[in-house]
Amino acid sequence: MELFFQSVINSFIQGGFFALWAVGLVLVFGVMGVVNFAHGELVMVGAYTVWVLHSQYGIGYIPALCIAVLLVMFIGLLMERFLFRPKQGDPLGGLINSIGVLFILQVAALVVGGTGPAKQVAPPFPGTLIIQEFLRIPNQRLFSIAVAVAALLLLWFFLTKTKLGWSLRAVALDREAAALQGININRTSMIAIGVSGALAGLAGALMAPISNIYPTMGHNVIITAFIVTIVGGIGSLSGAVLAAVLYAFLHTFVTAYFSGTIATMCGLLIMVLVLIVKPTGIMGQKVSE
Amino acid sequence: MALLEIKNVSKRFGGLAALSNVSFAVEQGEIRGLIGPNGAGKSTMFKNIAGFSQPSEGEIVFSGQTISGYRPHTIADLGIVRTFQETTLFQELTVFENALVGCHLQANTNIFSAVLGLDKHKQSRARDKALEVLEFMGLSQRIDQLASELPLGSQRSLAIAIALTSGPKLMLMDEPFAGMNPEETRQMMELTRKVNKSGVTIVLVEHDMKAVMGLCEYITVLNFGTLLTEGTPEEIRHNEAVIEAYLGGSRKH
Amino acid sequence: MSKVQLSQIAGIVAMLVGLMVLPNYLKYHHQDFLIFLTINILVVVSYRLMTLTGEWSLIHIVMMGVGAYTSALLSKNLGFPVWISMPMAGVGAGLIAALLCFPLFRMTQFYFLIGSFAVGEAIRLAWIFFVKPFGGSSGVSSIPPPELFAIDFMDPIPYFYLVLAVVTVCLVILYRIENSRIGLTLHAVHWKSSLSESVGVNTWKYRSLAFIVASVFVGIAGALKVHYLGNVTPHQFGVGTMVFVLIWVIVGGYNTFFGPVLGAIVLSILDESLRDLEEYRPAIYGALLIAAIMFMPKGLESVPPSIRAWFKAPATPPPG
Repeated sequence: MELFFQSVINSFIQGGFFALWAVGLVLVFGVMGVVNFAHGELVMVGAYTVWVLHSQYGIGYIPALCIAVLLVMFIGLLMERFLFRPKQGDPLGGLINSIGVLFILQVAALVVGGTGPAKQVAPPFPGTLIIQEFLRIPNQRLFSIAVAVAALLLLWFFLTKTKLGWSLRAVALDREAAALQGININRTSMIAIGVSGALAGLAGALMAPISNIYPTMGHNVIITAFIVTIVGGIGSLSGAVLAAVLYAFLHTFVTAYFSGTIATMCGLLIMVLVLIVKPTGIMGQKVSE
Repeated sequence: MALLEIKNVSKRFGGLAALSNVSFAVEQGEIRGLIGPNGAGKSTMFKNIAGFSQPSEGEIVFSGQTISGYRPHTIADLGIVRTFQETTLFQELTVFENALVGCHLQANTNIFSAVLGLDKHKQSRARDKALEVLEFMGLSQRIDQLASELPLGSQRSLAIAIALTSGPKLMLMDEPFAGMNPEETRQMMELTRKVNKSGVTIVLVEHDMKAVMGLCEYITVLNFGTLLTEGTPEEIRHNEAVIEAYLGGSRKH
Repeated sequence: MSKVQLSQIAGIVAMLVGLMVLPNYLKYHHQDFLIFLTINILVVVSYRLMTLTGEWSLIHIVMMGVGAYTSALLSKNLGFPVWISMPMAGVGAGLIAALLCFPLFRMTQFYFLIGSFAVGEAIRLAWIFFVKPFGGSSGVSSIPPPELFAIDFMDPIPYFYLVLAVVTVCLVILYRIENSRIGLTLHAVHWKSSLSESVGVNTWKYRSLAFIVASVFVGIAGALKVHYLGNVTPHQFGVGTMVFVLIWVIVGGYNTFFGPVLGAIVLSILDESLRDLEEYRPAIYGALLIAAIMFMPKGLESVPPSIRAWFKAPATPPPG
């Protein structure tokens, strides 16, 4: 019973992270048509930034988090300007470029952190919230999920209630029509990848105190983000969030009761199944004939 | 018995009916015109016959065999070949290679024969066939040129040559005259007749009325996904309903 | 015509003879390097067959693993002679590929890329999860080398000759496939799928065929690798390794048969000369990849003709 309740709590927290990872990937794919394979590495850079600033230089956790968000956003902007923009209309080229960035960022992490065991950041919010004897949530996780949900709500507000958000969605829907209506595609792409990078940096910074930090930690991030994106429907943000929570439940429970390997395998197989049966995903639009 | 029979075919996309309950038949040896205003369902009908999409209801019968539901390559194997709107060619291959791809059904080989060279006879026969068809279509001077380098008229001829090399009984031609000047149209009409005389039944979707009236002995008219009327060019030209459909269509635009 | 062919054959024979003499003058770890490079050439050339259909898969290296595990388990656990388990590696990889065609080729393009990645990862996780017979994360070790008379195949030189012979035969077969009717049809399927269908090409069958044949040959490459290394782990066939294959093919260029070979050779030699940089090497690879995509999108193979064209330019007027 205890395992069950604990797993439910963990599922929600995991779901928050999964959604943060996936939403950035979806945004960039939707607006720019690029599959950013380095997205996991952007998350990793966020985590490393917090480790360096907070654990090594003693800067406060919250300022470190903010710097992580800005730094990753800046890396994203550089990628857009110098790697993706020149390869507009060549999805393979953009994808390969992002793989190149993936390698460079991994080595950069190695240079900064050196080899050796995975890094850890002492939780800045220690202590545990005990609701019942069998139901305890570490404060650090509580903080993470609260920030993650807040960030997602903010994104939702930005996309649906602001003019810039509308132009992003217009470009995602129909690039050419949006361009004809005078929407600046390059600027929209910058915003998309800026937001995507900020979310990745935030996810990494939030993960830093509660998980291991190592150069290839992005691998797990990108696989999960792919599963969530495909199952949720490529280009659908609400689908991604829904799929993130569902997959988090599946993953947490299968991990708790069987093994983590089986959990990831299930996710991959569900993704393949979705690709075969309904490639537009559970929330994706029907493609007209 | 008719070569091609369309029996009560309907095709719906979501709630929209692109074709509803259409029936007609094409006899062996004909050049049949299939006309109608934009959105009448001509292209949908072609796609259904060639297997690129399946009718929601009804049946398509070719030489006495029901073919609706078959995949395009199976239908090609039975003897129906389609050409495409706009010019669809292998732009980066030579004229000869284009025709050679068309010979697929004769030259189709398995991987072991291909590696060991056991299919030499088959391949040389396919090459002969490709050359023969290119000659027939008046392209033998251009066999080594890239398809992308050909003028429009020759590209259209090549598209038909690719279709012909597959050895069809029935050819579905989708707007072969679109964008052509009068001289090119005249030459293409001659070629179409020539292909027909060689024993290939033709169904033609075309907006160029002069070409359709000049080529076809019998014309089928679709409007809003239904069969409007059928008849000789003379009858169609004076049919009130057809005139209304075209004028109504143009008034709306 | 025959003159050109003669000179080509002479060139290839000279190259083979050179390759046969070469290892005798190399240091031990360079001999190692030569063996892996030769195997990798088979990996990229078989991958090219797949790319001829226009589909980029991320499962190729996992199929290499399927071959490696097949041969390793057959020879170690079931006592098959390596001479039998090696071809069986190709058969095994081919069979798995044939099964995978049903889900995979319902997708195309981006969906296929991601789908092939997912299926490949799932297979890799199966190797990790099923400790029996795959040995989990640590894989299978003490895999026997081939045996023939008194030849010691633990020694790199005889093993290199074996690899060279097998890879040469495989390359000849792959070359013949590409230049046969089947190669033309694969090209047609890639560029105008619906036009090909309309003249009777079963595009599904041809995509599957390319995938299965590519898997057979990469499976054999996997067996060649595993009987030299003596062990096999799931880690060897991860997406990281697949990315290297992609880099070789893209930097080399995938428009001709020899582009990927060129890419594999040049980058492997470069990689070898950067050995001192150890774990920092991937960054250089990453930078190279980006440079290749940005400045040389047609790959290394596009360089020699353009140099040739540059030299010839004053003499010959442009065609047409």
